[in-house]
Amino acid sequence: MRILIVEDEKSLAEAIKKGLEEEDYAVDVAYNGEDGLFMAENEPSDLIILDIMLPIIDGMTILKKIRKAGVKTPVLMLTAKDAITDRVSGLDSGADDYLTKPFHFEELLARIRVLLRRDSEGKTSAIPIGDLLINMASHEVKRGGKEILLSAKEYTLLELLAINRNKVLSRTYISEHIYDYDFDLDSNVIDVFVNRIRNKIDRGSETKLIHTVRGAGYMLKG
Amino acid sequence: MFSSIKTRVILFYVAVLFMILPVLGVFLYLSLSKIIYSSIDSSLLSEAKALATLVSNEDGETQFSFSDEIMWEYNSIKAKNFFQIRHFGGTTVEKSRSLRNLELPLPSSQNRISYQTIDLNGAPARLVNFRFMNYGDDEHEKKVPVVLRNASGFIIQCAVNIDEQAALLKNYRLILSLSIFSIMMISAAGGFFIARKALSPIKEISDTIKGISESNLSERIPTRNVPKELRGLAASFNHTFARLEKSFKRQKQFVADASHELRTPLSVILSHSEIMLRKERSAKEYKHAFTAIEEATGLMSEIVGKLLTLARLGTDKIELKMEPINLNEAIRQAVKVVTPLANQKGISINLPVNEQSVILGDRAALLELFVTVLDNAIKYNIPQGRIDISVRKEASFIVTEIKDTGIGIPEKDLDRVFDRFYRVDKFRSKEVGGVGLGLSICDEIVKLHGGRIEIESKVGVGTTVYSYLKRHGYVTQS
Repeated sequence: MRILIVEDEKSLAEAIKKGLEEEDYAVDVAYNGEDGLFMAENEPSDLIILDIMLPIIDGMTILKKIRKAGVKTPVLMLTAKDAITDRVSGLDSGADDYLTKPFHFEELLARIRVLLRRDSEGKTSAIPIGDLLINMASHEVKRGGKEILLSAKEYTLLELLAINRNKVLSRTYISEHIYDYDFDLDSNVIDVFVNRIRNKIDRGSETKLIHTVRGAGYMLKG
Repeated sequence: MFSSIKTRVILFYVAVLFMILPVLGVFLYLSLSKIIYSSIDSSLLSEAKALATLVSNEDGETQFSFSDEIMWEYNSIKAKNFFQIRHFGGTTVEKSRSLRNLELPLPSSQNRISYQTIDLNGAPARLVNFRFMNYGDDEHEKKVPVVLRNASGFIIQCAVNIDEQAALLKNYRLILSLSIFSIMMISAAGGFFIARKALSPIKEISDTIKGISESNLSERIPTRNVPKELRGLAASFNHTFARLEKSFKRQKQFVADASHELRTPLSVILSHSEIMLRKERSAKEYKHAFTAIEEATGLMSEIVGKLLTLARLGTDKIELKMEPINLNEAIRQAVKVVTPLANQKGISINLPVNEQSVILGDRAALLELFVTVLDNAIKYNIPQGRIDISVRKEASFIVTEIKDTGIGIPEKDLDRVFDRFYRVDKFRSKEVGGVGLGLSICDEIVKLHGGRIEIESKVGVGTTVYSYLKRHGYVTQS
């Protein structure tokens, strides 16, 4: 899953980026409103963490502009103001959630998980697909009660497929959503990862969950 | 209770009423009784005089020539008129039949005519005593001195029953007392009502004031229906509320701004420490995080320090130790403090020529003032820029001009630069380490010194800060 952070306080943005990367998210950072707006409109992300007070273009304006442009990516607002009016205007402008600074990193993670799972059914952090269970909080994956060990990237890819279950994801889409801006795209890498996951999950099971759609991409079906 | 204006007004009013009305009552009663008695008395005296003409004394024999007609009103047992004729000695010579076996009392006075109110057989009566000498008809004899004459003196006593008049007066007294009493009560009640009515606008004003608290300071006392006498009072209150409201608003904004400013460095500290603590880290990672935390802490302590300075300036005026200060020396001291920073950026500072002005001020506060202004002049200056300091007199002020060749301030921001936490370019300020409180502190300092601070700027050309400080005198050049 790929997350865009728009935050002018470099030190804070760096810390969050580091923390999120350790949670296997792909993270891009913009340090001002102009870059933030450009990246939000042009780079694929699954979530935007947006500060309100930003140089050049403020967060509220960015939010209004991207929503007007039809970007539906969930937005988590960060604000240093805890006045209720600021929260309301943020939510009114199309933010999906907000956090008041200073916040606990664990809380940020929890909010991110909820927002990423928003379109899937239920609000718990565990996604069940057939007898496959993916726990987004602990990154534990079980099939038929048996634990399956995955590497960080393998997990990220599986989570992406699970959140978009029954949808065909192209190799480009997948690589864009599990790698950040600095990654040099090579879709062969995706094939390698998908094969590894398939080996770990579908081997020995009668029902295959991961399907290859020729000429289109991959899909988790169940 | 007696401290209330209403009670005092009523008490005063009632006291006046209670003094005047009974006096009026007594006066009315006495007037009427005087009229009644004098009319009775004058008719009694006429009767007595008439009787006297009918008494004669001839050769020691007393003669009465009372006609039946005259006697008629005295002789009935039921008659209300009585008479009794005595010698001067007191012996009764004659009395009316209406007296029956009763006697009129002897006169209590030796006067020729005297009046008495007596009790005659249980009924009130008025009595007149008329003394006269009988000289007979002899014209000669009248010329002989009294002592030599064979004259005899009589006391004619005439009385009349005054039952009716007494009853009338008694009724009158009762009616008068009752009416006066009721008038007093009604007036007191009326007074109470009037006092309350007259004072009700005050109560309204006080109720409004009571209802105004921190949460609805924008409410005002309606001045439309307030009586003229109280309009000034209401206006003063409204004015005070307006000032309070403004100051509350400012304070609230300040607290909100301060917390906002502190949140960002706090979130840096919190995020870095939490993320570091999630697992074991390398020394390099820890070092990186600690550096970030150290920076954030430095910013926070700068903000807190400046906030404390502002709070101190705002509350403890007494802490300022005012003394005559040589302005030139104060400026030189401040320049000394900022010189290392200026050298870093290659900025030259030009001091004023030997102008020896003395102002009355607090040494530490003035140092803070000049250091802050110079600090800004350096931070927002271009590399290799200049700062020119000059001092001039203007009316009762000494004006210190600190002019830089810096980036300048856009015109739209100029009147806001003294607001707390206001930064023209927040992101630029962050780079140079400004927290947006410096000029607010300068503003407080010059205000406490009875002066003012002004700023003039042109983007790309530079900024000039004028500090107006009260002139105290001059030192002679040595």
